Amino acid sequence: MKKFLKRLKHANRISFISLWFLLFLYLIAFLADFISPYPYDLQNREYALCPPTAPRVFHDGRVSLRPFVYGIEIVNPAFQEYAADTSRIYPIRLFAKGTERTLAGFLKTDRYLFGTGDEGKIFLFGTDLHGRDVFSRVLHGARISLSIGIIGVSISFILGLLVGGVSGYFGGKTDVFLMRMVEIIMMFPFFYLMLALRAAFPPNLSSVQVYFLIVVILSLIGWASLARIIRGMVLSLKEEEYVLAARSLGLSSFRVITRHILPGTFSYTVTALTLSVPGYILGESALSLLGLGIQEPYPSWGNMLSVTVGNLRILTGAPWMMIPGLFIFLTVIAFNFLGDGIRNVADPKNW
Amino acid sequence: MQFIPLLFGMTFISFVIIQLAPGDYFTQLQMNPEISPQTIESMRRNFGLDKPVIAQYFYWLGNLARFNLGESFSYHVPVSFLIGQKLKNTLALSVFSIFFTWLIAIPLGVYSAIKEGRWQEKMMSFFAYIGISIPSFLIAMLLVFFAARTMVLPVGGTTSVFYINATGWEKFIDYLKHLLLPGIALTLAEIGWLYRLMKNNFLEALGSPYIVTAHAKGLSDGRIYFRHALRNAVNPMITIFGYTLSSVLSGAALVEIITNWPGMGRLILDAVLSRDLYLVMASLLIGGVLLILGNLVADILIAAADPRVRLR
Amino acid sequence: MEKMLEIKKLEVSFRPAVGESVKILRGVNLSVGKNESLALAGESGSGKTVTARAVMKLLPNNMNFEKGEILIRDRNVMNLKEQEFRKIRGKDVSMIFQEPSSYLNPVFTAGSQVLEAVKGDGPGRKERTIKLLNEVGLKENVFYQYPHQLSGGMQQRVMIAMALINNPGLLIADEPTTALDVTTAYGIVELLKEMMEKHGLSMLFITHDISLAVNFANMIAVMYAGRIVELAGAGEILNSPLHPYTEMLVSCLPEKYKSGDKIKTIEGKVPDFRDLPKGCSFHPRCPYKKEICLREEPGEMKRGEGIVRCFKYGDFVEA
Repeated sequence: MKKFLKRLKHANRISFISLWFLLFLYLIAFLADFISPYPYDLQNREYALCPPTAPRVFHDGRVSLRPFVYGIEIVNPAFQEYAADTSRIYPIRLFAKGTERTLAGFLKTDRYLFGTGDEGKIFLFGTDLHGRDVFSRVLHGARISLSIGIIGVSISFILGLLVGGVSGYFGGKTDVFLMRMVEIIMMFPFFYLMLALRAAFPPNLSSVQVYFLIVVILSLIGWASLARIIRGMVLSLKEEEYVLAARSLGLSSFRVITRHILPGTFSYTVTALTLSVPGYILGESALSLLGLGIQEPYPSWGNMLSVTVGNLRILTGAPWMMIPGLFIFLTVIAFNFLGDGIRNVADPKNW
Repeated sequence: MQFIPLLFGMTFISFVIIQLAPGDYFTQLQMNPEISPQTIESMRRNFGLDKPVIAQYFYWLGNLARFNLGESFSYHVPVSFLIGQKLKNTLALSVFSIFFTWLIAIPLGVYSAIKEGRWQEKMMSFFAYIGISIPSFLIAMLLVFFAARTMVLPVGGTTSVFYINATGWEKFIDYLKHLLLPGIALTLAEIGWLYRLMKNNFLEALGSPYIVTAHAKGLSDGRIYFRHALRNAVNPMITIFGYTLSSVLSGAALVEIITNWPGMGRLILDAVLSRDLYLVMASLLIGGVLLILGNLVADILIAAADPRVRLR
Repeated sequence: MEKMLEIKKLEVSFRPAVGESVKILRGVNLSVGKNESLALAGESGSGKTVTARAVMKLLPNNMNFEKGEILIRDRNVMNLKEQEFRKIRGKDVSMIFQEPSSYLNPVFTAGSQVLEAVKGDGPGRKERTIKLLNEVGLKENVFYQYPHQLSGGMQQRVMIAMALINNPGLLIADEPTTALDVTTAYGIVELLKEMMEKHGLSMLFITHDISLAVNFANMIAVMYAGRIVELAGAGEILNSPLHPYTEMLVSCLPEKYKSGDKIKTIEGKVPDFRDLPKGCSFHPRCPYKKEICLREEPGEMKRGEGIVRCFKYGDFVEA
């Protein structure tokens, strides 16, 4: 593993950076409660659709050692017009006080990683229609998007491994039947099938139920392509000469599979899995974006974007509402870079 | 011919999904005072819902064969009518974007395969990477954002206000203008990985032994690239045409919803939101049939292009 | 006498994906006269194919010319531009390859691929192509067939027709029979001999099979680790090989066995170019090695018509 990381670092710098970026995102998602300056559902009605407030260090031509934000002046509350009030200065404090909430289910605290205390407001990514801090919501939303990719891929992988392994190992009629099933699933446009499956379940479920429903739907669709990949690998490995050699030496098939087939597929599998994570993230985002996924008030990157759909006023007036989209993009591209990097490094031809 | 079992499988899956939904769909209808109990009874009989599940399936299939896809709950019109209305817009969008995706991705793929390792290739591959990773709905949102800010392109719908008085030609141009925004969004969403596939295929072809032969014959670079390598690089592209369709249709549905283009995407979404199940299933089936047709076309094309397939 | 091909002190280096670049041709000298056939023999990895590719200027991207000269019909072609050299390929020198199935383009008919090789426009190109196809033992309908419809032997005949369509003076055959079964291979060898006679062709014949080399060519060059270690007439190679390596190769030939003998093999393995032994690169496998072999590399020593690189025959050291 260590050797692998080292190779990745040398061979493919960008995928190495992507790996760290992803780890960073997961860490942030994990610590979202603590890092975000406000609870995700804290509404500031008077600050609806407020543009991002920039942290500053210059004031009146002087440098302030501690970054600060200006106060937000409400110019026209009806049209959500705001301006910076340069006469009010709120320094950004570490471990600032705020609304009390419970961390990790048991730790009651009113401290936040950073904030401006009670008076000023710090909206790094602006606020949404209800005046909720987009930055805090993005951090919380990361939990959904990032976890759904991993969980979805894992379930699909188990299903795919089962079907693909059986199909490739036994061949014959079993293979024909299973591969036909795979083909049928793949013959539906992904999006259509996703919506149809969603339609089979009641629209108003609790957030937890919806979360698991999405995982199930995405896995039900996603296993097919993984099964096909795994079947192909099993087929070709079965014929590999070293496997034949191991067999002819009289090794048991369990030993052949565990010692000779599986290690050969490992790098390829990791690549395929890494590269299929974005599909699940995008699937969740799309469902939530259309209002069929994670429900308000809990944020996901997808449902945060949904206010912009068909609403030109918000889209053009509050472009920061598209920031969750940027995070989806960054996560997807990081997974793609990482997958490609693993593929390059794992390919023995490159070494 | 392999498509016939596929079709049966598809209808079966669609049917299973209907069955998956808890309750009888007509229980919902019964609550609607606008629909008389007699209508519900006749619809029940129409779809054989009083019979066992397998019988129901064949009944449903029989109706399907007569193009009776059922009636929409929310619109009270035959599902086939609704789909017919929206399908042409989706097809227009898909064809538009497929045409431009291939028109741009193929030459760029060839060009950067030839320039492999140089800055031109690196730059293009970088943009392709972004294109592959950016979600189609985000592209659509960004385009709508810019279109709305700059007013260069009409956003939403298929027609302008003056449409009613326009001549046929003007109508066509107006339609195209409205198609441009979703069309560009979908093209941008699809172009990246098609470019990457083409580049890799062309590189692989260039590394093949028959290219050495072509050089040994003293052929010019142009002839080697555009006769020997291109023909071999394009063949696998034709094979994946069917698969690209799947992502085009999926992408199209999302882009349609974001850009407010009245196609299948909006239709399915509304159907799902109002639990208009027959409409959902019919749309699913139509999507599948489109893919099958696309694969059929790809099979015919590949047979025409590749002698190894044709002569088997 | 006019030389069809002359290679002087040719050096080629190979740049692996990781690590230092290494020399894989280390000063190759050889020449092929008119109507002469020279066989280049040696184990795989000795640099035979690289030599052939270098003559055609078709080295893979990870290989580079370092030094040396290549003369085709007494004309130095080393400094020719790619565009200029293209005129020579197929016209003055042609090449056929080991696996005809992958060296023919699968999507074009055999005929069109031969036709395409014809230089100049002129009428009757198609007739000429069909006539040549007949000459190499193929029926006219092969013209309209695709490579996958032909057997390996037929594919190689198409390759030969493609190579000979412009009446080149020199044909380079890179293991043309290795991928074929024995009887088909025999047919191809006979055909090549026939074509040499008929078209006044010179040939550089590359093979790992020393008996085939002796059977086919009048001169044999034995290659080892990127160098020619012995050059001699076919008879001398078979009956009185000079270099210890040649001696070992020849002693493995079945003709040399008496019934009841054990099958002989050559001990040791082909050296790794990244880690060539110091001194004579053959010394780890050599039964005659002396103290000098560990230190110095033997130079080319004349022996009759040929040459040998071995300290058994004198102390001439490679400069």
